[in-house]
Amino acid sequence: MVNSKEESTTKKDLLIVGFLCNWCSYGGADTAGVCRFNQPTDLRIIRIPCTGRMDPLFVVKALIYGADGVLVSGCHPKDCHYNEGNFYARRRLEVLKQFLPFMGIHTDRFRYSWVSSSEGRLWQQVVTEFSETIHGLGPNPGVHGESDAKAGMSFYT
Amino acid sequence: MRIGVFICKCGTNIAATVDTEAVARKALEYPDVVYATDYMYTCSEPGQDEIQQAIEEHDLQGVVVAACSPRMHEVTFRRAVEKAGLNRYMFEQANIREHCSWISKDTEANTRKAIDLVRMSVEKLRFNHPLFSSQVPINKRVLVIGGGISGIQAALDCAEGGLDVVMVERESTIGGKMAKLDKTFPTIDCSACILGPKMVDVAQHENIHLYAYSEIESVSGYMGNFKVDIRKKATYVDWDACTGCGLCTEKCPAKKSFDGFNEGLDTTTAINISFPQAIPKRAKIDPKYCWYLTKEKCKICQKICPVDAIRFDMKDETVVEEVGAIIVATGFDLVDHSVYGEYGGGHYPDVITGLQFERLVSASGPYEGHIIRPSDGKEPKNIVFIACVGSRDPSIGRPYCSGICCMYIAKQAILARDHIPDSNCYVFYIDIRAPGKNYEEFVRRAQEDYGVQYIRGRVGKIYPQGEHLIVQGIDTLLGIQVEVEADLVVLATGVAASVGAKELAEKLRISYDEYGFYMESHPKLRPVETNTAGVFLAGVCQGPKDIPASVAQGSAAAAKTQILFSRDTIETDPQIAKVNERMCIGCGKCIDVCPFGSIQWKTLRDGSQKAEVLDTVCQGCGLCNATCPPKAIQLQHCTDDQILAEIEVLCAGERHG
Amino acid sequence: MEDKTKTLQREFLKVFEKLEVVLGWEPGYDSLHATPSFIRQAKDLNKLVWNPLCSQNLCTYLVKTLNASVRKDDKKIGICVKGCDSRSLVALIQEKFITRETFYIVGIPCEGTVDWRRLMRIEPSLKDVQKVDIQGNELEVETAQKTYRFPLQQVLEQRCLHCRYPNPIIYDCLIGEPITPHIGDDQAYGDIEKIEQYSLPDRLKFWEKELDRCIRCYACRNACPLCVCRDSCIAETRTPKWLSQRCDLKEKFFYHMIHAIHLAGRCTECGECERVCPMEIPVTLIKKKLNQIVKDLLDYEAGIDPQKQPPLLTFDPGEKGI
Repeated sequence: MVNSKEESTTKKDLLIVGFLCNWCSYGGADTAGVCRFNQPTDLRIIRIPCTGRMDPLFVVKALIYGADGVLVSGCHPKDCHYNEGNFYARRRLEVLKQFLPFMGIHTDRFRYSWVSSSEGRLWQQVVTEFSETIHGLGPNPGVHGESDAKAGMSFYT
Repeated sequence: MRIGVFICKCGTNIAATVDTEAVARKALEYPDVVYATDYMYTCSEPGQDEIQQAIEEHDLQGVVVAACSPRMHEVTFRRAVEKAGLNRYMFEQANIREHCSWISKDTEANTRKAIDLVRMSVEKLRFNHPLFSSQVPINKRVLVIGGGISGIQAALDCAEGGLDVVMVERESTIGGKMAKLDKTFPTIDCSACILGPKMVDVAQHENIHLYAYSEIESVSGYMGNFKVDIRKKATYVDWDACTGCGLCTEKCPAKKSFDGFNEGLDTTTAINISFPQAIPKRAKIDPKYCWYLTKEKCKICQKICPVDAIRFDMKDETVVEEVGAIIVATGFDLVDHSVYGEYGGGHYPDVITGLQFERLVSASGPYEGHIIRPSDGKEPKNIVFIACVGSRDPSIGRPYCSGICCMYIAKQAILARDHIPDSNCYVFYIDIRAPGKNYEEFVRRAQEDYGVQYIRGRVGKIYPQGEHLIVQGIDTLLGIQVEVEADLVVLATGVAASVGAKELAEKLRISYDEYGFYMESHPKLRPVETNTAGVFLAGVCQGPKDIPASVAQGSAAAAKTQILFSRDTIETDPQIAKVNERMCIGCGKCIDVCPFGSIQWKTLRDGSQKAEVLDTVCQGCGLCNATCPPKAIQLQHCTDDQILAEIEVLCAGERHG
Repeated sequence: MEDKTKTLQREFLKVFEKLEVVLGWEPGYDSLHATPSFIRQAKDLNKLVWNPLCSQNLCTYLVKTLNASVRKDDKKIGICVKGCDSRSLVALIQEKFITRETFYIVGIPCEGTVDWRRLMRIEPSLKDVQKVDIQGNELEVETAQKTYRFPLQQVLEQRCLHCRYPNPIIYDCLIGEPITPHIGDDQAYGDIEKIEQYSLPDRLKFWEKELDRCIRCYACRNACPLCVCRDSCIAETRTPKWLSQRCDLKEKFFYHMIHAIHLAGRCTECGECERVCPMEIPVTLIKKKLNQIVKDLLDYEAGIDPQKQPPLLTFDPGEKGI
């Protein structure tokens, strides 16, 4: 999926939407800030209480409507502030991650990670790596209406 | 909605790499934004004043502050807008410092990012609603689970503070592990002499109701209003009638019953009182050994009981108690040392645990304080203590330090030298951990004043030879093999989570670690709280610790309870899940997934079933919201519409380049 | 051997007094269709039929139409299930929408049902159909004029071509003998593999082309036995507003993602969504892909074991590989 536009897009901001749990990863991102760990500027963070709050459809929504990448991050499994939220999240998000390519969306456009509030350095790494990956993929071609679809023919016939 | 946007420069913390003026200017273009400005320090008093003035002058209905992390100042700003007459939840904070100005030096990119972050906050705010806490009355009674020293301390502190205390103890007497100890380190205080009076206080305190020989069946409800089912196990003796005279225990013919109090070093009668100082001092029948209950003959106790208290037909009984807080002080059990085949796997009678040694040396123990070998009753001359049995050993899945063993074997060696002055005591150890007050000095005394020989190294094997046990080990300081011909070997058996700890945790909905110790809410700053509001921890159930620390934590848990009960009502956090009954399809998936049991069924008049959130139990994680297929249950202040609005506004924005 | 239709009628008649209603099929508006039948009186039992036109998954009506979770008296619901339908029934039991005891289940091993659209494409002049039956590997269609024979592969529904569960999973009474599946587990996902051979951009193009035909009629949702939200479906609610009424590709695409994600770990592959699609969009493939992932990742298939909890509604703290 690395297209020829890659060169010209690396300098531009792409849109990465982040969903961070309040207790761990949002705190981890704060810690990285407090430590002045330099990071790419593409990420826009939405604060949620827990990755258990994360409906996989939020990710799908963002990717269909134009986000170039989506990053979900929460407490390490077994460290969930609410005990169990991230156990549910990891199943749901992993299923989604494996599913996206079937619909033609690159699996690398979505990532989930576990970063605690003390792991500022890890957060910097996650953001940097993910931003680089997304810049490598270039802008999300996205879902748009310009397909050469001619109604009528069934897939099977 | 009329929205005001305030961009904080945070001195130069933000302004150095974000054009705050440009962000404020841009914000004025957003829907509903009627006022926008930047300011040097928005969190300062004049900064807050400015917000409050603007609310008044511009008739603002919502406020966005773009500044530091909401984890830093959300509470501050909420209070500020509340003072100006807004609902405190009509506020959103954009994090343009930790997440923006501090992590990149590119002013242009940072400014674009700050613009986006403010835009998202405005968009979220447009879907905010005023939220209101409700007040729930607190039932000012406290349940203490576990009657060891830590639970006793917590119960007495609560009771002294005027609270009604319900104490539940699974054994037939309170006292816990401390009651079995002979002396305590580092003062060599008599354990029974310092614990006994406290046990009596529990029995006599008018504010404490004790359920001994009882277990927690189930817990429902929430902070301030728990409902607890307590199962009183059948004792076959009417404790209201029993006077604890002990006649029955003298005449009972089933004398081969297991004596748990003496750690199996002795046998007892089927009807027994654990020990003379037991609280409550009541007899109970062990149905496994009672002749009548197993073979339907005997009934001697019934014939002899002067108060006619024997009830062979007694069944377990469940009672319900309602309390406002729960202190968990369930203590510990010893690591099962039979996993160590090299130490005999529990088959050598003269290889005993630390707790068995306590019974051995105790004046109230089976040998009345004479240290003798369990196998032949002879007095041992060479005694070997082995440290770290079941502690610091990843090979059996217990990598943690039990914290108390170094100290208790030093004490036991001292006691052994006291009791048998011509004995030799050897201690095999890995490291000596003696960090408490006067602890290091105590270990030195064992070595220097009492001549206990400390050998740094592990014991590889113990095997019997004639009357003796050969202990083979290494002295790693001298780098040589060591062999000791021992008469008695004491294993410094480590601390394991109490049997049944996990099951109880599930009932209480508190977390436990992989070893079964209960998890505190924060390892440093909230060491007594759990993640379930209103449930506190005390003692070794939270992790290995010694008596002073257990007592301190017991008092701390009592203090936390008193703090909770110092108010008459609890203010609930309104940022919780809420069900739209019209949309709820009654599938029950939210009820299944809720980690806190905070959702229950509600039957409407037409017979249909709907989900209902218990406001005081819900912790606001939003798992139900993500799970609900029709999204009929919404996490207030973080609704689907709010998250979708943030996503939409981001995706709709032009990508800058 | 007795005609299966007759056996079916007889079996229900035996227990009819204990039943409140029987869900089966009756002849439809033309001779190439069967239609769902709700029988409340014994005298109507002779309307029931069983033939390869009995496509509809009757489980779809249990929650949405009959509200089978609320029972007023102890009378049971009689229902006919094919292999695929029975999985939907099990899935509804798993999710506690219904209880097993509420049902008298007549299971019918099924050789496949006919996709009349495929049939009409092959033989557009087909009319006056009198009987449709499966004989070996062929579909036999008797009309007033002549008897046609079609290879099954050409006229069965897509779901039937990949069917691994022709025999009902649960039943109180089985009509006829169990059938050996035509297809092994290894071929179960042959249809989705076809799409996976496309490059990533081509897959996107493919779905754009397919889903752009969607007219958002929601027939796929309405026919789905496990889509139980009724009027609360987030495709249509205003609060929360997951979808606008705008009929552009993004919204259509997202609608189908919602449907699929809501069925992840729950879909029983009955294929009703695709069968009822007036635009012939292969929407079942999306759900099958999710099923494949759930099977590989979490070792779970919906609608097989009534005791099992759907995997996305539970967790395992110790699970590896995620």
